[in-house]
Formats: sequence, C-alpha cells, structure tokens
Amino acid sequence: YSKLSNDLFSILNDADDYNVIIKVGENENAKEFHAHSVILRARSPYFKGALSSCWIEKKNDMIFYSKPNIAPNVFDMILRYIYTGKLELTEQPSEDILELLIASDELLIEELFDYVQVYLI
Amino acid sequence: MSSRKQPKGKIRPPKKPNSADAQFNDNWDRLAQAIREIHKKNASILSFEELYRNAYNMVLHKNGDKLYNGVREVITQHLEEVAVSQVVPAFPLSGASSSQTNPNGAGGANFLKVLKTVWEDHTTCMLMIRDILMYMDRVYAKTANVPLVYDLGLDLFRDTIVRSQNYPIQNHLLEVLLQQIKLERENEIIDRTNVKASIDMLLELTDASTKDTVYATDFENKFLETSSEYYRVEGQMLVGEYDAPEYMKKVDKRLNEEEQRVRHYLSQTTEPKIRNIVEEELISKHLKTVIEMENSGLIPMLRNEKMDDLGRMYKLFGRVVKGHDEMKSAISDYIRELGKAINETVTSNTTAEGGNAASGDKQTGATVAVRWVQEVLDLKDKFDKVQNLALSNDKAFQTSFNEAFEYFINKNSKSPEFISLFIDDNLKKGLKGKTEEEVDSVLDKTITLFRFIGEKDVFERYYKQHLAKRLLLGRSVSDDAERGMIGKLKVECGYQFTTKLEGMFNDMRISSDTMTDFKEYLDKSVLEKPKLDLSVTVLTSTFWPMNLSASPRCNLPPELTKACGTFQNFYLGRHSGRRLTWQSNMGTADIRGSFKARKHELNVSTYQMVILLMFNDKQDGESLSYEQIKGESDIPEADLKRNLQSLACAKYKILVKEPKGKEINPGDQFNFNNDFTAPLQRIKIQTVASKVESEGERKETREKVEEARKHQTEAAIVRIMKDRKTMEHNLLIAEVVKQLQSRFMPNPALIKKRIEALIEREYLERATGDRRVYNYLA
Repeated sequence: YSKLSNDLFSILNDADDYNVIIKVGENENAKEFHAHSVILRARSPYFKGALSSCWIEKKNDMIFYSKPNIAPNVFDMILRYIYTGKLELTEQPSEDILELLIASDELLIEELFDYVQVYLI
Repeated sequence: MSSRKQPKGKIRPPKKPNSADAQFNDNWDRLAQAIREIHKKNASILSFEELYRNAYNMVLHKNGDKLYNGVREVITQHLEEVAVSQVVPAFPLSGASSSQTNPNGAGGANFLKVLKTVWEDHTTCMLMIRDILMYMDRVYAKTANVPLVYDLGLDLFRDTIVRSQNYPIQNHLLEVLLQQIKLERENEIIDRTNVKASIDMLLELTDASTKDTVYATDFENKFLETSSEYYRVEGQMLVGEYDAPEYMKKVDKRLNEEEQRVRHYLSQTTEPKIRNIVEEELISKHLKTVIEMENSGLIPMLRNEKMDDLGRMYKLFGRVVKGHDEMKSAISDYIRELGKAINETVTSNTTAEGGNAASGDKQTGATVAVRWVQEVLDLKDKFDKVQNLALSNDKAFQTSFNEAFEYFINKNSKSPEFISLFIDDNLKKGLKGKTEEEVDSVLDKTITLFRFIGEKDVFERYYKQHLAKRLLLGRSVSDDAERGMIGKLKVECGYQFTTKLEGMFNDMRISSDTMTDFKEYLDKSVLEKPKLDLSVTVLTSTFWPMNLSASPRCNLPPELTKACGTFQNFYLGRHSGRRLTWQSNMGTADIRGSFKARKHELNVSTYQMVILLMFNDKQDGESLSYEQIKGESDIPEADLKRNLQSLACAKYKILVKEPKGKEINPGDQFNFNNDFTAPLQRIKIQTVASKVESEGERKETREKVEEARKHQTEAAIVRIMKDRKTMEHNLLIAEVVKQLQSRFMPNPALIKKRIEALIEREYLERATGDRRVYNYLA
C-alpha cells in the first residue's frame, strides 16, 4: 500500500480542501494543523466522537478544535500515522516517542500505541 | 442546582483530602456538571476536548470506579427526575373512566408519545456521554468487567423508568400498549409510530437475569395472553353470528391483520406465536362447528359448488394440525352418503322391477345401470372439480375421495355389471348421436370407475357377455371404438386381462373370411344348395362366454339342420379335430311372414324363428299351447318365455296370446296374428338384450366367478410354489393375495381351502418338521 500511503500523505501536506483546523499545544508552542474530518474520524475513535456533529464548533464550515496537552511535534507524528499508517521512529528523539505513546493512548489510536510500545521494548 | 448538590456528596471521598483527591473532586464536579448540561440539552457550551481529557485523567489516575459510579449516580438522578416530572404526569387516567374520557385511547397515545420523547432524549444524551467517556469505556470498563457506559444507561433507564420501583410506569406502559392494540383490533386508527417507539425501546432493553429483551420478558407474554383471551371471546361471538363463509373471511382478515401488526410494530419473534394463537382460537377450536354449520358449512358449500369458499376453507384449515383431516373425513362421509343414495335409487328401482320382472317392459334394467353409472360419473366429475378448483389437487384429499368412491361403488354388488352395461350402452350402434370423441371421453371417465371395482374378474365376465352380444348381433358401433376400449382396459389391467377379448375380435374376423370361402365352396360344389342363406360365426370356446357343458338345446327346422350339416362338413374338412357346437340362442334370422294386410320381413332371433315356423303347419285360428311349443322346440324355459313375450306381448304382436297379459304362464294358448299390421315393411322384433341379470342369472354368474377364482387361486399357488419350492403359510397367503388383487380380493379362507385341495392332489405337501410350511412336489 505504499502508493496509497504516499498519496494520502500528500493530501495531508498540500491540503487545500481541509475542513478541520486543530490548534495543538499551548501558548507560544501552539501550532495549527490542517486536516480532513473524514479521515480523522475514520482512523480514530477519539476523533470520531470529538468531530461528531453534536460536539463541533464551526465557523464558515471550518471546524476548530484545540488539543492543548499534546506537543506539536508529537501531534505531527500522530497525523502522519493517521494518514499513512506509517511512521519512522528511529529519527525521533526518545522523549518525543514516550510522549507519542501517551498521546496515542489518549486518542485511542491502538494501532499506533502498539507500534510504539513494540518499538520501545 | 442546589438540589443536585446532594448526590455529589455521596461520591465525595471521606475526610483527609489530599491533593490527588482534591484534583479528582474538582474534575468530577466539572464532569458531573457537564453531564447535567447534556441532559439539559446545553451541550453546545461544552468542550469535548476538556471533558474527554478530564475523564481520561481520572481513569489514568486509577479513579475509574469513582468516575463510573459517579456517572451512574448522575444518570440515575436525572432519570428519577424525568420519571417524576415527565412520565408520571402523562399517566393516562386508569380504570373505567379512561374509556369514557379517552374513548380513542388518546390518554394512552399521549403517554406513549411522552415516553417516546423521554427515550429519544435519553439515547441521544447517552451517545454524547459515551463520546466523552470513551476512554473510560475502553480502559476502565473492560478491565473492571462492567457494562459500557451506553449499556449502563440502558440498564438505568430500564430500572428507573420502565421498571420503576417508585411509580407504576411499567403497568401503565403495558396496559396502554395492550389497549392500543385492542383499539386497533376494533378498527380504531391508532398512532402506530408511538406504539412502535415503545416496542423498539423494550426490544433494546435487556433483562439482566434472562439476558432476553425486556420486550420478551415483560410484554410478549402479556400480549399473547390478552390476545388469546380476545380471540377466544371473538371466536365464540363470530361462530354464533356469522355463517361459514363469512366466518372464514373474518378469520382470514384477522390472520392478515396480526401479521401486518407484527410487521409494523412488534418483534418478528412474536409472529409465529400470535399466529398460533389466532389459529388455535379461531380455527382449531371451531373446526367442527364451522364444517358442520347447517346452511353454510362444508356440505352446503359442496352442494352449491362454492369453490371460492371451499378454497378458502382448504387454505385456512390447512394451517392447523387437524384441519385437513376433518375436512377430508367430512367430504368423504358426504361422498359415501351421496353414493349410498345413488345405490339406493338403483336397488329400489330394481326391486320394483322385480315385482313385474316378466313385464317385457322396454325400460329394461339397462337404463337403471346406465343411470347409476351416469350418476356416479357426475358425482366423480363434481368432486374432481372441487379437487381441482378448491383443493389445489391435494393428493391426500384425492386418496380419501377415491376410498369413498371405492367404498360405495363396491357396496353395490352389481357395479361390475352396471359399468359393463354402461360401456355397452355407449358402444352400441346408433345411440344418442354422440360423436366418437364424446363417447371416448365418457369411456375414459368410465375407466376411472372401473379402477374402483374390487372384483375386476366379475367385470370381465360381464364385459365378455356384453361384447359377445354386440359382436354377434352386429350392434357394435365400430371396431375402432371397441378396440379403443379394450386398449384402455389393457392399460389398466395388463394384457392377460384382455387377451380373451382380443381373441373374440379375431374370431369375428376369421369367421367373415370363412364365410367367403364357404360361399365359394358352395358355388363350386355339386352339393344341393341349402334353401336358405346361412351365416356362421365360429367362436373359440375359451374366449367366449358361452357355456359349452350346458349348451342350449333346440330342435331346429329340417332345412336349417341340413344347412348346418353342410357347413359342418365344409368346416371340419378344413380343420380336422375340431368340434362345433351350435349356439342357437345367439343367432338371428330374417323370415318372411304373410299377413292378411301385407307381407312383412321379420328380423327375429333363432328361437323366435323356430317358434314362428311351427305355425306354418297350422290352420287359421288353430292355436298352440305353451306346453306344445315347449315340447316341440325344446327351447330352455327361460329363453322360451322371453321370446314368446317378445312375439306376443311387445310392440309387434305377431302372436296373440290367450289369456291376455304381460306374463307368459303354463297353459297359455298362442295364435298366429293374421290381422297384424305395421307401417314398415321390415320389422325387427326386439329380443330382450343386455339387461340387468335376474337373481337366478346372478347366482349363476356368481357361481361361475367363484369357480374361476378357485382355478386362478390354485394357479397362483402353484406358480409361486414352483418358483419358491418351500414356503411358510402366511408368506404364501400374502404372495397369493398380491398376485390376485388386481383381479379380485381373495380371502385367506379361500386360499387355505385351495392349498388343501392342492395337497390332496399332491401338488404340495406339508413339511415334516413344521406343519405351517409347504413344499412343492414336482
């Protein structure tokens, strides 16, 4: 599925039709990510709930979401994994990897959680 | 809000607040508050992210159970309040007054509507609560082995609302549901959506102990009980009020309605159960009553050929175990009854005829026979139609009908004779102007009756007699028709049954060739030509039904005796070793009679010719007595009487009898009727042919049949024993019955007698060790 992964990654990178803006981190470390609600909801039960119509806050058809307790670089990894199903962990600093483990647990991305766990062991 | 502070106290950890506890309390307060906002439909002010993270942190810090219990507490609280503030006020007025104030169950409908709203609100809220507590579900509920929060919500709804301990919600709900259904049964329009919502709700809730749905545990049985009662009462009312067709339509409608009801708002699992109830209460319990309804039940339907109603009954009654059996036996009884009536008209007719048996009436027994067969055929037609149009050609019914026909047809001991006479009637020349196709189809139907006859050998005997008369008297409509009929019999019974009949045809053909040869022979011969045209048919004695041993004797006039002698010499010259016996009772003659007015050509039987020729030697006015005629002609008494009757008491009175009367008695005097006149030059004197046998003849036929059966039985025994060499008594009996039953039903006593006769004649012996075993002696 490498082609599929690559194509989906390009959707994430050059998103011109995104409908979710996620503000990640707090204060000066905060960063905005652009994403597609369909993909997020399909890939994570957390986002399935979070982005369901009864919870979302919309402005001009754009969903605004904020996730203050996760660092942007960690969220970046999560997003990549959500879109592509792949993640290269060897290049990442180990403290980020630990944070990734915690975040993937919170966001109930079990696949990623298991993947990181195996990597750490 | 103050009232809601109370439950918080319950879950607040006791004393000694450390920082972790404080943190938890703080988080929990906010979460509990949020759930309350969700309940108030204020979710838009809440942040999913915060609430989720809040719950996540609690579970992460091992406070899952506190969170879980807290949530339970808050939801319970809420539902309690819903019960008090929404559900209870919507209770319909109960008791007798409800039917007055809410004749259409409006109060009940409103109650269901409220419950629908409450349920929808609850499930919507629970979905949102489930979202924010997703981490609790995934991490805590799984390990603590407690229901997921949504299921918890269902359980709480069940216990707090549907089965509330504090308020009679359950009673009201069940009552209203049953009442709504009752109203709908009574043709009121109800709001099915509300009923369906409540039913769906009950279907979604699970009973903790049975693991079945609350629908099944709380509702279904009550529904079935009230339905049973409802239809028990209705069944009694309907049978009292409606006739059978109307009743069945009502039942049809009810069955349909209940099916629709289940489909629209009950559970499919209820479908067979409610169907059983309606079938039991409206069909099973009233089967007999409906079948036996005086002017509209099964028999009147049959009588009036109400095919639609019969079809409906067949379909409807087929739903219950005994239904078709009851119908079958009622119809069969009816067939037997009708058959009995047909048989009775015949016996009453024949006995009436027996009273003046020698009347010479043209209405011979044959009409009775033909009428009997026609009536049986009509009956058969009628029930074939019923079978075809109303009973979907049900095999079981067909079998039962056949048994009924077989029963009454064989009750009439004359049926083999009657059926043969009926065929005779149809195959006789120049009758009724039926086309060949019509005759063929009648004969086809007759074959179906033939199938029902148990004593096919008796039929064969009569058929041979009737066929012989048709052939010899030249009355057969056509060879094709005769052969067609024999073909049909062959299909039914095999070639053995018809070889003799076919042999009769051969004799006819060969005889006609023989006659051609005889004429040539006479032309060429130097012999004196006979003074009359002689036509002889040579019959093979084993094929034809004539009795050789008691061959009819008769003193023929000298010219005829001489002609016969000439033929005999001719024939025996060609076929040496044969013996010819003259069957003078079967012949006919054309003679010329001179009367005062004119001459007539008379077509008469051989016997009549013999009688008439006696008067040639007499003076005008000189009479002959019965005794004289009898003595001189030597014609057997019964034949003599019959022929004298034809000559003196029928349409053409060639002879005058003294004293007058329809009976021939000893001492009667006969005179040649010189004054005889008739418009036609050629006159056929009807011989009383093919009529139903008299009692004496019947006895004789019977004896012949019995005799033939003895032979057939012995032949079968020998055939079997020759093949098996040794055989046990019962097995032998069974095998013999099997071989013979296509011709007649042999009774074991008869077979046993034949076995004994065969032992006596040393065809068989009893085995030395076992007297119940026979050995074949080659």
